[in-house]
Amino acid sequence: MVNPLFQVPGIVSGRALGLIFVVVLAILVYYYMSSGKKIYIRRVPGLDAIEEAIGRSAEMGKPVVCSFGIAGGGFDYWTMAGLAILSHVATLTARTGTRLIVPTGGSDASLIVRPVAEEIVRTAYLLEGKVEAFDSNDLPFMSGQQYAYTGGYIGILQRTRPASVIMTGSHASEAMNIAETSNAIGAITITSGSYISNVAALACASDYILIGEEAPAAGAYLSKEPPLRASIRAQDIYKAVSLILIIGGLILMTAGSDIVVRLLVS
Amino acid sequence: MSSFFKSKTAQLTIMILSFLAVFVPYFIDVPAMTTFSTKLMTITAIVSAFTLLLALYSQFRRGYTFIQKRKRGWIFKAYMMISIVLMLVFALFGQETGPYNWAMYAIITPLSSVNYSILVFYMASTGARAFRARNTRALLLLITGFIVLFYQAPLTGAFFPQLTPVALYFTGTFVAAVAKMFLISVTVGAIVFGMRVLMGKETTILGFTKEEAS
Repeated sequence: MVNPLFQVPGIVSGRALGLIFVVVLAILVYYYMSSGKKIYIRRVPGLDAIEEAIGRSAEMGKPVVCSFGIAGGGFDYWTMAGLAILSHVATLTARTGTRLIVPTGGSDASLIVRPVAEEIVRTAYLLEGKVEAFDSNDLPFMSGQQYAYTGGYIGILQRTRPASVIMTGSHASEAMNIAETSNAIGAITITSGSYISNVAALACASDYILIGEEAPAAGAYLSKEPPLRASIRAQDIYKAVSLILIIGGLILMTAGSDIVVRLLVS
Repeated sequence: MSSFFKSKTAQLTIMILSFLAVFVPYFIDVPAMTTFSTKLMTITAIVSAFTLLLALYSQFRRGYTFIQKRKRGWIFKAYMMISIVLMLVFALFGQETGPYNWAMYAIITPLSSVNYSILVFYMASTGARAFRARNTRALLLLITGFIVLFYQAPLTGAFFPQLTPVALYFTGTFVAAVAKMFLISVTVGAIVFGMRVLMGKETTILGFTKEEAS
């Protein structure tokens, strides 16, 4: 058992540093969002490719398939990030007059998320002045069972032959079946790996992949609004801090000091 | 009243208060707040169960319209609705025995297992495409892949035990390091995403247009 480097009275033992980290991160996000500065944000190829994929679908006159995951945890942040991407995709498909198909299902909780997704897509069409082009039957509910949903999803891909498939949110093992089918029918495949065990396989099966924090950052990145995009800078700063702590801890532990470990358990 | 709950201010206020009710007792030692937080989460679970009922009702209404208009594939929609009703009725007789248990273990589980096992062919197809030694890095990846594959396969693991420490080194160092970094980046991304939601900046998922949110 490692002794914490410091303890703060009134704070739950072992959570003081976590609290400091979260509070500082919140301040950083607020600062970047309210500063009004135009900050350079690194490009995320997976998100940039969405416009290209939809443009390709529009040119070929083929549909776009976009899903927000199986929503196993209901409205968890993966699903919410997936819905943010879906909203952007729906705006672009409405603008270009491309058919959008959103296969839903895969878990019991997905029944709750589906109406929200429908509302998001409908709103996007409404804002683009194309509400008559919206068809709620293009958001079919397959099944509450993961693999029945997968079968339905693959069936849609085989029958409609979309030019692009965008899979976001929390897809589990079924992601590989879908991504590989999408690849086999020649569609541009953009996926997001929400599980580390999925990432490597999905990277092989997809044309573009969103890894780690790239999917939750999508809403801000795609908005193209400088204050929102600036919040991504806070993420990058924290990733840099984490790297410094890992490398510093590695060097210090090798040198015989456990100060970083004690700091992290504080 | 409904317009009040649809307003941005009301929704954000409820969201921020709920967030604080869970966030504060996680970090700060206030027993009364911990009790409150636990009760709030129980209430949320109950409300979610009712939401599921509402979602089911909505699904049935959509399905009914679909069948009534005899749209293409209506027969599948009818099949799904009948299946849902049957499973609901079966569940009334108990889940451990009886027709519900039979449907689960004689139909749904085997079908899901078959679908899951098909995954191996998809993995093989992806692997065949991705693992081509086009350059030095791809060759290294291919060799590493084969070492880990042979280690995982029982027979080769038994015949070539010298592969075990190499494979364990790969999985215990490189894979573990990448997994940790993935976890850190996802966590930081989630916190920043949460911040934007609480600040009312993630407009679409909150159900607002940009104009309403500003």
